[in-house]
Amino acid sequence: MKYKIIDKITSDVMFEVYGKDKKELFENAAEALFSIISEIDMVKPEKKEKIKVKGKDVKDLFYNWLQELIARVDIEEMFFSKFEIIKISDKEIDAHIFGETISKKKSGTVVKAVTYFNFDIEKTDKGYKAVYSVDI
Amino acid sequence: MKEKLKKINDYEWLLPKESRKGMNTDALLVASKEVIDAMEDEAISQLTNVSMLPGVINPVAGMPDMHIGYGLPMGAVGVFDEKEGIISSGMTGFDINCGINVVRTNLSHDDVKDKMKELIAALFKNIPCGVGSKGKIRLDEKQLDEVLTKGAKWAVDNGYGTKEDLENMEENGCMGGAEPNKISETARKRGKPQLGTLGAGNHFLEIQKISNIYDEEAAKKWGLEKGKILIMIHSGSRGLGHQIASDYLKIHGDAAKKYNIDLPDPQLVCAPASSKEGQDYHKAMKCGVNYAFCNRLIMTQWVRETFEQVFKKDWKSMNMKTVYGIAHNICKLEEHIVDGKKKKVYVHRKGATRSFPGLPVLIAGSMGTASYILKGTEEAMKKTFGSTCHGAGRSLSRNAAIKKFWGESIKKELAEKGIVSQSTTPKVLAEEAPLAYKDVEIVVESVHKAGISLKVARMIPLGVIKG
Repeated sequence: MKYKIIDKITSDVMFEVYGKDKKELFENAAEALFSIISEIDMVKPEKKEKIKVKGKDVKDLFYNWLQELIARVDIEEMFFSKFEIIKISDKEIDAHIFGETISKKKSGTVVKAVTYFNFDIEKTDKGYKAVYSVDI
Repeated sequence: MKEKLKKINDYEWLLPKESRKGMNTDALLVASKEVIDAMEDEAISQLTNVSMLPGVINPVAGMPDMHIGYGLPMGAVGVFDEKEGIISSGMTGFDINCGINVVRTNLSHDDVKDKMKELIAALFKNIPCGVGSKGKIRLDEKQLDEVLTKGAKWAVDNGYGTKEDLENMEENGCMGGAEPNKISETARKRGKPQLGTLGAGNHFLEIQKISNIYDEEAAKKWGLEKGKILIMIHSGSRGLGHQIASDYLKIHGDAAKKYNIDLPDPQLVCAPASSKEGQDYHKAMKCGVNYAFCNRLIMTQWVRETFEQVFKKDWKSMNMKTVYGIAHNICKLEEHIVDGKKKKVYVHRKGATRSFPGLPVLIAGSMGTASYILKGTEEAMKKTFGSTCHGAGRSLSRNAAIKKFWGESIKKELAEKGIVSQSTTPKVLAEEAPLAYKDVEIVVESVHKAGISLKVARMIPLGVIKG
């Protein structure tokens, strides 16, 4: 399983995301995000965008990665469905993200921001688990 | 926490500061017992967290639509001393100046009932909504600066709305002191393509009919007549505001450490009100506030133009004037009486509306249920720093609502009630299903009986568009 939604907060959506390593965790978290923003299965990965995100530590990086993706929706007016992390450390990510121009037909809902509510990343025996919620 | 509430009267409950170690002030809850019984205990605990912050002014107030929020619950008011207190980006929330504009018409239900489908389809076409539609206005850097500093006045200067609209908006549609250089490049980039867009989630545009008038005098003054049609626009500062909030959450996280502020909840990040970090946020927040005022007025004008298209009449001849425009997510420096003396304080209203004596208060119900126009009161000045509730308040998570109510069936149910609806995806209708919210009637009854705002008019929905 890549991620699941946890029913905990009344106004918003909370995810539990898994990955065998950091790369997979970050990619799956992005996919979870776009399952809310768009009908991700319908979004064609036809246009590529490069992104670089920095953070103070892995948690900060995770938060900034998701925030950057949310901002890109507004700025590039695109939905994204494929995420390829080229390079990742605890403080920096280089990634290619793929998607297409926004359309009503493939839209989900506006995600305002990632919140710090129960925000966490932990190492498990299978790799990594993260919890994050978004304000919608 | 609920067991510690002390009844003042049927609609007011006090949580004394002795209820929990570390509280500096009491908390006040304005709600009937029925509302409190259904309220999350954690939301009440969140009020007590706020009362632990430095410079907090008695009391931290919870409204009947209160539910768990980030730091400060939605439907609550946290007030802080101008010098000793704090300003908190977390407490203002992500949607800076989320709010409402209400426009009246001289049309009656009979005039619109055969045109509702056409009208809703035209509004859906003319007003960009949801995450999937592009804005019609593209601002350059200079224009964006003007929007951020002039607010709704920019709209009027550029042909959207009139000076009279500005007179009927909180702050006349512009908060002074906004400084665009206090917001990030990302916030600017997000703001440039989105002016004049509704957004999604709980944002909506509704065609309503006035079903009841409770205060003839106020109704007459505000041009409200039973049976007439109103338009309610609920929207905010869009990606620009969300970005300002997110950016300052980090800045205030660092500031809280720097100034040794003990945070009972990490989401209550803040900075001393007089510090650079506190003041920078307030100047940035005002940019978001002004963007939202401008955004709602532009859409107001498009609503007028859409009515012109559908009814083949001039909007002025349909008397489509702004009843009022108001914010319900904001932090403002206001003067209030504290311990018998006038004092300047920072009032954080999150999911709460200004209720100043004699001024209109706009309350949005959930989709498919009633909305209200109330009148602000002196009681609110005495009890809740001139504040009241903002809407119905959620009682079910968005995800649980999607599972419980499938969008298509909601659309059918709304249609059975005679409400025409259009949204970008059925899921959005399910997320915002009426049953996912508390009953607006008992919320409004609580604030009315407590006297912190009084009923003037009730509206029922005829048609709705959502993102």
